This record gives sequence, C-alpha cells and structure tokens, in this order.
Amino acid sequence: MKNRLYQKKHKFWLLAGALTFGVFYSCSDDFLDVPPEGQAVESQFFQTQAHALQAVNSIYGNLREWNNIAFAHLALTTVSSDDADKGSVPGDAGFMNLYDQFTVTPTEGQLNGYWVGQYQGINLANRVLDNVPNIEMDEALKTRLLAEAKFLRAYHYFNLVRAFGGVPIVSKVPETPEELNPARATREETYAFIEQNLTDAAAVLPTAYGAADIGRATKGAALGMLAKVKLYQSEWQDVLSLTEQVMGLGYSLTPDFYQIFRISGENNSESIFEIQAQTIPGNCDASNSQWAEVQAVREQFGWGFFTPTEDLVNAFEPGDVRKEATILFRGETTPEGDLINPNAPNPRYNQKAYVPSSVTQACGYGKDQNIRILRYAEILLMHAEAANELGQTGKAESSLNMVRERAGLDPITFTTKEEMRMRIWHERRVELALENGERFYDLVRQGRAEQVLRAHGKNFTTGKNEVFPIPLNQITLSGGKLVQNPGY
Amino acid sequence: MKQPLLLFLFYLLTFTLVHAQGTVTVAGRVTDAGNNDPLIGASIQVRGTTLGAQTDANGGFTIANVPSDATLVVSYIGYIDQTIAVNGQTSINIQLQPASTELQQVVVVGYGTQQKRDVTGSISSVKSQEFERQSSQNPVSSIQGKVAGVQVTNSGAPGASPQIRVRGVGSAQGGVEPLYVVDGTFVSDLSFLNPADIESMEILKDASSASIYGIRAANGVVIVTTKRGKAGQARINYNGFVGVQRVTNKLEMTDAREYTELYNEKNAPNTLTPNLPSTDWYDQILRTAMINNHQVSASGGSEKMTYSVSAGYLNQEGIVEGHKYERITARAQQDLNLSSRIKVGYSGIFYGFRSRDIPGSIFYEAFVLPPIVPVRKPNGFYGDPANFPIGNFANPQASLDWYNQRSNGQRLTGNAFGEWNFLNAFTFRTSLGLDYAINEFRNFRSEDSLTTIQKSETSFLRRSRSKANSWLWENTLTFQKTFGDHELTVLAGTSSQEAFNETLGGTVEGVTYETEANLYLENGNQTTLRAFNSAGREKFLSYFGRINYSFMGKYLLTATLRYDGSSKYPKSDQYDYFPSIGLGWVLSEESFMKNQEVINFLKLRASWGKLGNNNVQPNITSTPVSNLPRYIAFFNGIPNSGSNVTYVPPPTLLWEVVKETDIGVEFAFLNNRLTFEADWYNKETENGVFTIPLIGTAGAENSSITGNYATFRNRGIELAARWNTNIGNDFSYSIGVNFAKNKNEVIGLATGNTSLAAGDLGLGGYFSTISRVGLPIGSFYGYIVDGIFQSDVEADESAQPNASAGDFRYRDLNGDNTIDERDKAVLGNPNPGILYGINTSFTYKNIDLQIDIQGVADVDIYNGNRNIRFGNENYDQDFYDNRWRGPGTSNTYPSADLTGSNLDPNSFYVESGDYIRIRNLQLGYTFPTTTISRLKMQGLRIFLNAQNPLTIFDYNGFSPEVGGPSPVSYGIDRNVYPLSATYNLGVNVTF
Repeated sequence: MKNRLYQKKHKFWLLAGALTFGVFYSCSDDFLDVPPEGQAVESQFFQTQAHALQAVNSIYGNLREWNNIAFAHLALTTVSSDDADKGSVPGDAGFMNLYDQFTVTPTEGQLNGYWVGQYQGINLANRVLDNVPNIEMDEALKTRLLAEAKFLRAYHYFNLVRAFGGVPIVSKVPETPEELNPARATREETYAFIEQNLTDAAAVLPTAYGAADIGRATKGAALGMLAKVKLYQSEWQDVLSLTEQVMGLGYSLTPDFYQIFRISGENNSESIFEIQAQTIPGNCDASNSQWAEVQAVREQFGWGFFTPTEDLVNAFEPGDVRKEATILFRGETTPEGDLINPNAPNPRYNQKAYVPSSVTQACGYGKDQNIRILRYAEILLMHAEAANELGQTGKAESSLNMVRERAGLDPITFTTKEEMRMRIWHERRVELALENGERFYDLVRQGRAEQVLRAHGKNFTTGKNEVFPIPLNQITLSGGKLVQNPGY
Repeated sequence: MKQPLLLFLFYLLTFTLVHAQGTVTVAGRVTDAGNNDPLIGASIQVRGTTLGAQTDANGGFTIANVPSDATLVVSYIGYIDQTIAVNGQTSINIQLQPASTELQQVVVVGYGTQQKRDVTGSISSVKSQEFERQSSQNPVSSIQGKVAGVQVTNSGAPGASPQIRVRGVGSAQGGVEPLYVVDGTFVSDLSFLNPADIESMEILKDASSASIYGIRAANGVVIVTTKRGKAGQARINYNGFVGVQRVTNKLEMTDAREYTELYNEKNAPNTLTPNLPSTDWYDQILRTAMINNHQVSASGGSEKMTYSVSAGYLNQEGIVEGHKYERITARAQQDLNLSSRIKVGYSGIFYGFRSRDIPGSIFYEAFVLPPIVPVRKPNGFYGDPANFPIGNFANPQASLDWYNQRSNGQRLTGNAFGEWNFLNAFTFRTSLGLDYAINEFRNFRSEDSLTTIQKSETSFLRRSRSKANSWLWENTLTFQKTFGDHELTVLAGTSSQEAFNETLGGTVEGVTYETEANLYLENGNQTTLRAFNSAGREKFLSYFGRINYSFMGKYLLTATLRYDGSSKYPKSDQYDYFPSIGLGWVLSEESFMKNQEVINFLKLRASWGKLGNNNVQPNITSTPVSNLPRYIAFFNGIPNSGSNVTYVPPPTLLWEVVKETDIGVEFAFLNNRLTFEADWYNKETENGVFTIPLIGTAGAENSSITGNYATFRNRGIELAARWNTNIGNDFSYSIGVNFAKNKNEVIGLATGNTSLAAGDLGLGGYFSTISRVGLPIGSFYGYIVDGIFQSDVEADESAQPNASAGDFRYRDLNGDNTIDERDKAVLGNPNPGILYGINTSFTYKNIDLQIDIQGVADVDIYNGNRNIRFGNENYDQDFYDNRWRGPGTSNTYPSADLTGSNLDPNSFYVESGDYIRIRNLQLGYTFPTTTISRLKMQGLRIFLNAQNPLTIFDYNGFSPEVGGPSPVSYGIDRNVYPLSATYNLGVNVTF
C-alpha cells in the first residue's frame, strides 16, 4: 500500500510538473511582449538625418493631397469667384453650387475637408519643428530643413486665414487638451504668426538649390509669400520692399505664356513656388495629384469641373495671348494636336490644367501637372499695386507693363491712382485666372466682392461672405470653443 | 489565481488516493429497454480511463481490469446514456432507453461534454444528420433558420462564408463573428470544412456556456466536432450530388424603350432617339451554373485503434459567367489506446481551393448601365457607352472579359492530443493544435482598349501571397466523481497560443507576355516594380477552470473562470478575468412533479457571465510611423521618400466586455414528443469600441480615434419547440419551430452626444447611417420624404427653393424653413428584429422529406443601387412603373431626374427587408436492406434537393440578404451577389 501510494504521488508530481511547466513557461514576463510586427513606431523615428529629410519631404508630399488642391480648395477659392462655374454635368457634385451661390452652411463637407487638410500639413510641419532640432546631423542642413518647414506651415495658415479669418494657432505638436483645442486667434494674430514664420524662413533659405532639390522652398518663395501676406493687409511699404527683394533674386518672365503651364514649363525661370506632382509608373498612390484631373475635359480627359465663365472670357482684352492659353474651348485643337471633344458637356475648360494626351496617364489624367503657387508675374503685379498705392507711379507702370508686354498687349500709361489700381486689379485677374484660386480672395481684399459678385448673379453678402463658415463639426468637437463667423 | 485551484485539485487527488481499490472483469449485454433487442456497437466506457468496449452482434461485451469501484458509461446513438457503478459486480446487463428528445442528447461544451439536461446555459446543437439532409457547401449556411437567435446572412458567391451573428450585434466596430472551435483549434471561419465531415455543431449562446473561452467569446462560440471513427467493421461511404444553380428573383430593369422615355423626361424631350435595340444586362452576365460535389469517407477500427478518413471534391460555377470555384477537402483522424489509461490521437484537415474570380463591381455595373448600349457593335467591338449621350459607364461584358484573376489557397489544420486517465477520476489531456494557411492571388490587366473608359496604356500585374500560421497548446485536468447524490466535475487548464500572419506581394506594369506561365513580376518593366509586405503577430496566454456540480440530478451549478492575457494590449492592461455562473433546477425531478404524466421534463435555469471581444485592431495603442506613398515628395521630378508621425492613437484601447444574463426554461411534454425551450437574455457590451471624430486642429492623418467609449445592449427572447411523433409504424414526422426577437441599442457613450456617421454611398460625403445613443447600431439616417413636389411653384414656396417639380419634398423637422443636416432623422434599422425558422421532416416507409423554411422580419434595407447615381444610370422596372411624370402622377416616387438633393439619403431609399424562404427541400428514398444487401451495400439513398427554391420579399433588389462590411455600414445594397436556387440530384452509398 505504501509503495503504491508513493508511486501515485510520484506520478502526481510529474503531472503537477507538466502543468506548472506550462504555467511558468507561459508566465515568463516576455511571452506576451510582442512588438508591432512590421511597423516602425514613433520612438524609432526622428533619430537620424534621413528621418529629418523624410519628415520634411512628407510636408511637401502632403501639399498635393485631395483636400488641399482639389474639390475643397477649388470650391472655396474658384467656384466662389466670377472666373469659374461648377462645370461637369448638372447633377454631379451639386454641393459645389452652394459655393457658387454663397448659400453654403457650416455642415457642408468641403469646408471640413479644407480645414482638416490645412491642419494636417501644419501638424507635419510641427512634428519637424519639434523633433528635428534634437537630431544629431549636419547643422546647416538642419537649419535649412527647419526653415522649409516654417515656410510650409505659413503656407497652410495663409490658406486658412483667407478662407476662415483668424484660426486656432497650433504652433507645436499638441500635448495637452488646451494645446489640442486652442481658441481662434484673431485675423491679425494669425497674420503675425504667418509673417514670423516666413521671416524666419527667408533668413535661412537659399536662393536656389542643386538639381536634386528643385522644388523646395527658396528664399524667393518665402519673401514672395511674405509680400503677398502683406498685400492682404495693405501694408504697401512692406509689399514694395519685399517684392523688390525678390526682383533682385534673378527671376524673369518667360517669353511664352502658354508654355508656363506645360510640363516643360515646370520650375522655369519665372517659377517661385510650385506644388510638385509626378507620375511614378507603378506607384499610383504617390501619383495622386488630382488638380488637373478634376478640371479636365469631361468625357475625354477628366471630370470637367471648375469651368471658365463667359465673364472671364470677355475679360481678356483683344489680342491678349493669355485668353487662348487660359481657356480651352470644346472643339478646338490644341497646339499639341488634341482635338477637344466637340460634344463635351461644357463649352470651356481650364487650359492651365490641360495636360496633352501624349503625357502618360498610367495613373490617371494629369498626375504630372505641377500647381503654380507663386510666379514672378505675380511679384511684379504686387510690386505695381504697392507702388501705385504709395504714389510711385513709375515703378507701378514699369512692373505692370512687363506683364502686359509678355501677354502681347500695349503698355499702360498712368492717369490716376484709381484708374491705375483698376488696371492692376484687372491684370491680376487675367494673368492669374484659374491658376491658384486668387480671384475670390482678391475681390474680398479689394473690398468690391459684393459689387462684382452680385453683378455676376451671386448672393454675396458683405459682412458675412468675406469668409466661409467654420465647419460645424469642428465647432462641436471643440466643445463650442471655436466661435462661428458672423452670419452663419 | 492558479494556486488555489491547484490546491483544490491536490485535495481532490489525495481524497481519491485513499479510496483506491482492486480490479474485476465485467461482462454483460446491452439491450433496448422497449423491445429487448440487442444493441450492436454500443459503447461501454469505464469513466476516467480509456478502458472500454463495443457490444458485439448479440449486444454482449467483456472488459477486463475494471477497478471495482469504477463507473461504466454506456452510450448508443439515439439512446440515453446510462451510468452504472460496478461495485465489484462481474456481470452487468444494461437496458437503454431510446432518447426521444434532444434534452437527453450529449452536447459538446468547451473542453468537455455534458448531457443537455444538465446544461445550465443556452446551447443549441446541430447534429450531422442535419448537415447530411441538405446540400450546402458551407457548414454555416446549413444552420440558417435552424437555431433560434442565430442570424446567418449568405453571400451567393461560391466559396464565400456567410456572415453569422449570435443574439444581435454586440459591437459597432469590433468583430462580430463568433469564435469557431474546430476539434479544439480556434479558427476564424469554417469555409475550409466540408459539411459532410461534421459530427456536430454546438452554438454556445449565453455567457455561462461561452465564458470558458473568455476574451474571444463575446460574439458566441461555435464548436465543431468532426466525425471520429468507431470500433467495428469498416464503413465506406460515398456521398455525392450534381445540380444546377439559377438566379431567383431577378431584378427587372427598364428596357431600351422605357429607358429612353425616362431619359427624355429627365434631360429634355427627344434628346435620345426612340427604338434603340435593348440589352438586358443581367441576362447578359448571369447564367445557369453547374455544381457537383463528391465525398468518400471510411471509418472503423478496433478497441485499440479507431480511424476515419475522408476526401471531398466540390466544383461550383458562379452564376456569373466565368466565375468558378473548386475545393478539395481531406481529413484523417486516428485515436490509439496505448494502454488502459493512455490514449493518443490526432486529426488533420486539409483544404485547398482555386477559383477564377469576377470583378467586384459587376452587379452594380449591370444595374447602372442603360439598356440602350449594345453588348457588341456590328463590327464586333464592345458596345461603348461613350457613343451615347449618357456619361461614363463600363460595359459589364467587357469588364468580365477583361478581368483576369485567379486565386488559390491551401490550409492544413491539425490537432494532436494525449490523454492520461488516472485514479479513476482524473483525466489529464494535453493537446497541440497547428494551423497553417496560404492564400494567393494574381490579377492581370492586359494592355487593351475595350471601351472609352475601359482601357489601359500598359498591362498591370499584381501577385500576392499571404500566410497565416498559429499554434495552440492546451492542457487540461478533469476530475469527475460521484459521491452519493453529489456529482462533481472539475476542470482546470492552461492555454497558450501564437498567431502570425504575413502578406507579401508586388505589382509591375508592362508584362508583355500574356500566357499564364509568364504572369510573374520578373517579366514586367522592372522600373515599375513595387512590393508590399506587412505582418501581424499576436499571442495569448490563458488559465481557466470550471466546476459542474449536480445534487440528486435536481440542482445544477456551473461556475467558470477564465483569466486571459493577450499581447494586443499595453503591458499594464494585458489580462482580465472572465467569470460566469449558471444555476439549474430540474423541477420534474421533484417529488411534487412525480405524480403526473403530462410534463416529462422541466428545468429552469439562469446564468450570468462576463465575456470579452478582443477582435479589435492590434497595436493601435502604439503610434506608428506613417511611411505613405502620398508623403513622397518630388524634387525635379525625382521621388523622395516621405515619412512622419501623423497618426494619433487613442489613449488606450482594450477589449470589449460583454455581460450577459440569461434565463431559460426547458420542457418536455407528452412522452417527450413535444419539447420546448425558451430564453430571455440581456447582453450588454461595455467598453464598446467606437470611433469618435478627432478635432481638426490635431492635424492627424486619421480623422477619428477609436476607443472604448460605447455601451451597447442586445435584449431579446428565443423560443424553440419541436414536435416529434409517429403515426403507426410507417409514418413519422417532426416539426421544429424557432423564433427569436432581438432589440439592439447604443445605450451609452462616454464621449457624450457624438454620433458616428457611416455607410458612405461613395457620392462624395453622403453617409446613410448613424450610430448614437438611443438608436440601434448603424441606423439608416437621412431626410424624411413628405411627398413629391407637383410643380415648380410648390417647390419655390417650400424650404427647398432650388427644387423642381418631381423632386422629393423633405420634412423640415426643425421648422427653420431650410433643409439641412438638422432635419435628418432615423429612417430604419438594418438589424433584424425577428428571426424565425420552421424545420420539418417526414418519413413514410422508405421515403423521407425535409422542408426547411426560414425568415427574417422587422428589418430594413437601404437601396443603394437606386440612390447611387451620377447621371444617366438605368432604372429598375418598379421605378419606371411608379415614377412621377407630371402633376398628380405620384406623391411617393420622384421623377426620373434623380439628381441633386434627390440623392441625399432619404426615406424613399429605405425599404423593408423582410423575407420568408423555403431554404431547403429534400426528398429522399432509402432502398430496402433486402434489395441492397445483394449489392453488398449497407445503405443506399437517393435524393432530390432544392436549396432556396423560393424566397418571398418586397424589396426592390436581387436579394434581401444584403450584409455589409461592418455593423455601422450594414444592410446597404450596393452590388450584392444575387442569390440563386440550387437543384440537385444526389446519392449516398454505404458499404
């Protein structure tokens, strides 16, 4: 009996051993310690110079995002103006009409898209500005990268302030609820923040890059953008001096206006800043700029939105080469030999967004088309406008006429300041039409939006429609901290 | 937690040791208690050992070395198990009572089995016979309508798994599929299983029965036990059928004349010339498809060894031209009794498939393409929608012909175990499960120009291979002992698992050699080569225990506890306890119930338990580096890699916790001919994963964050009754009815009054569902249609001044005379309120007939096909017949000009999804033994079968079984694979 008991006990301990083996083996602390498979995490990033470059690249790459350059951007800046109609076919994207008619309400989806799109860019820049200073790397490169990030951050805030007025300023990666959800700054504070960023950037950025870096922000871009920010605040002396600094950097007008907007005209001697886009065969996720596609001839190349108005067609003076270069008429044959579908649903399309059919469409139409954000011609027009306001008529005449001359038009002779101002404003319209959404904001800045847009049949109301409503869901998410613009 | 449990076991062990005694040889006979016929092949098992025997042709048996205090368990299919204490006897004759009700059947519970009468939770069991008497290709489809409270939503696509939900949806954004346990191995679906290989399927519906599976059990557990060999002569069986599948309830669309009429109403008179030839696109792409299925199996064995093997082949065409699916299944299983106390065994299931696939949007393409486009032009080229003034459409025939995708996969799921019985009361079992699966596909788009929009400048090849493998090691110790009136079973166990998956693939353009043998990445333009590669790994570590206690067979207790850890969660929060308790009271055993004949069995039971749902995205808590293609920057046309940290993770994201109460009653009346079971349950999901929008100033790549913010509730009742009887000797029948009613609701949200919009219609920000407090998950949401504007003047004077005659008039809910977001309301519920099934079986002499009926009621469908329009899409016939076409023609259907605000999600597009269907109809004839014994056969049955021959519904679509990608975007009909009826002729032979 005793022996058997011993035997059984022996077996019991074997069993207990087997069970506890399982238990202890499993219990060891690291069994459940599984790092995310195949996924780098935050703590591994911002360690090397390569990370610094990649992070700054991401801000550039993000510029071509849908929200930043396609429907949301074009709804707010272009359909709203007297330069473009919704386009496409009547039922398609009917919400665009709300922007055309100034009947948009705070729930409309493009508002939120635009808002979020800009803050995404700002966050990418803030990540760089917060983290790159701690990376051990080439100091000169580090300084330059930080300046690029500041330029791009300013670019996004400038989009925001023009669309919505003063906005919450997020100047670092938010860590607390307060930092995540700041109240709206005033328009002036927002402009001051933009100016500070651009001033910092201009002090560091080079005037030009080597071939491998063409497309990065330059000193000229920072100064030119700063001039434009000043223009929006009518700080004429600053506009004058900043544009003159840019004019000393070696930019020049290219002779053929039409060619500026072709692939071969990208980053030419007139270009100050462009959003770079490219088809990478096999990588359509990166070949994602839809700016040209959404505006391209419907039932031939693309979606056919944001079509030129008749008013714009009529705005060009006789003999202005820019008319043919800006407006693509159905039935015409382009210099590259494309016959524009005579049965296209819209009579006109934006020719600045035209990409000849010979260019690859491997990832869809027009994925190679850069978006011209700032050209030397605009510097000259800003210079002319500031000079005129300051009574420096010679400078105003000379800069304005450089632009007109390239367009094949006769020079203007100064008569009165008011007459000259109208001339310059008109020149801005036809020079920059359908290029970067300048027209609506110009009309607001010039204080004549109601007059011009109402004449065009739109319901613009002064005191309300100068800015768009803050998206309602952002107000909700802020717990009411964001205050709606008046009238919405 | 494990220490008290081990101490307890130790106590039991020493208790038993003291009582160990000598052995005897037992012999006897097993007979039917009714007619005293011998029962051949009955199993006699010595409890707690591997000792046992099968009865011979005279019902006799002999077992040596039986401990004199042992208990014999005698079982035979269709009879009630009997346990007999040996008490030193050497001759024991046993009479078994026929098991006339399912209450007496044995059901599989997690890590063990129980008699149904002893179960304190809600478990439904589907036996092999139910699978055999229909010809579904997927085991889950077979239980549709069979089990109260289990919703099965089929996809008509060959090889696709149905969606299954037990007691409603307990999660909005986590997984809602139940856990599947196949022979002890955890798997995510059952498409790899041949229904003919299944011995039984148990659905553990309540927390008391499911919580032994802890963190994975929140959506219910489906335990599948495959067939195992039995000692005795080898049985060889062939089971096969051939048949055809045809679409039922084809959706009628307008023909060319009708379409032209609508087009001209919409656009302008006479813009489209009448008398164009007409194409019925559904007729064009749909076909009558063949199906054939063959299965051979063999099983048998001796006292020392039992085995079963099977092999099956299924060849199923899809009802769309070109769609084809082939499946091979094979299974091998062996159990070896190494000694009287040690048993080892294994089972392995191999599954392989290959398919020729169809483009995902083909049904939508066929819906929208106007009938005026011909399939082909006179010159043989594809009919090009661009030749008509209708906008951009694809030619579905061109889509089918151009689409070139092949998929294949192999999977091996196996399990090996060892079992050691000792001290007559203990069983130690260790089991190792392995699962290894590979899935591959290759998709090739040739360089071609079929129509204006169906063209490609360059060919494009994508190949992908994904691999998933896992191991699962489980150890259990079971103690089972009867002490007088006390019957006790105690289980303790550990479980550890590791699962890994990886996908590796690539794309390339410019493959110019188009034969199958050349479709490899290396044959493309190497400058366009891209690769993708991602992976996931997860580990589990768990301890669990269960106590089943029964006193005099009257008072029942089940208590379980599982302690689960998962690597998905942050180190501080990896473990949780999942307890449950179930109580039962068998009233019919009480003395006051003894003196009546009407009620044969009556049990009340109640249970409560906690379950987890860990089916949420892993590693969501660590902030990843986003290395996205769209962050690539171009400088001078050269791509430069871009990465950043842009994802904002939630503070913590843990498993969902379900707490469920179940109260049930089980009856058997009238000599057990009528059984009835009813349950009431209340299932609350706490820490429900819910996405809340993220404030824009965060600037995150994600516009929302997911956290444990919500509380959901599913509350309902389930009723199941079965009437089982025979009239005379020749006719018997059974009728089963089940019914379930469930109410789903979001009952709390930690983040306050936010709502989650989903069900994107792809029209540019048109969301058709909302989930928020007080509503069912994924409720349809939009404007309420109050009629149709009969004139432009009427519209001008309304809150919709931009509307025209024939447009929807939306209700201005807040009365502010504008129609905007604030006027939206709940329009319907995609979660079915009522599920029911009627399952009947009739046998007259050698003829048998099954009729299974199933239905769903109190449910809505969002008709996305009608709503999603960009221009001149086709219309369905019902719309044509009823549309507004001038003042007074309709106040419910709009005009053909379905554009602008008419496309806002609204109540017109919400339709009833109720349906009733004959799911299975089978007529069989079993040849008399006298006839077939001459052919050396043991059994021969031929049958005619119709699956889904008739479905009745009002919904204007192909199928009311719509399904959806997640509970928040459910029931939206966009491109659903049409359902088809299958008609088969089959034969079942046993040698």
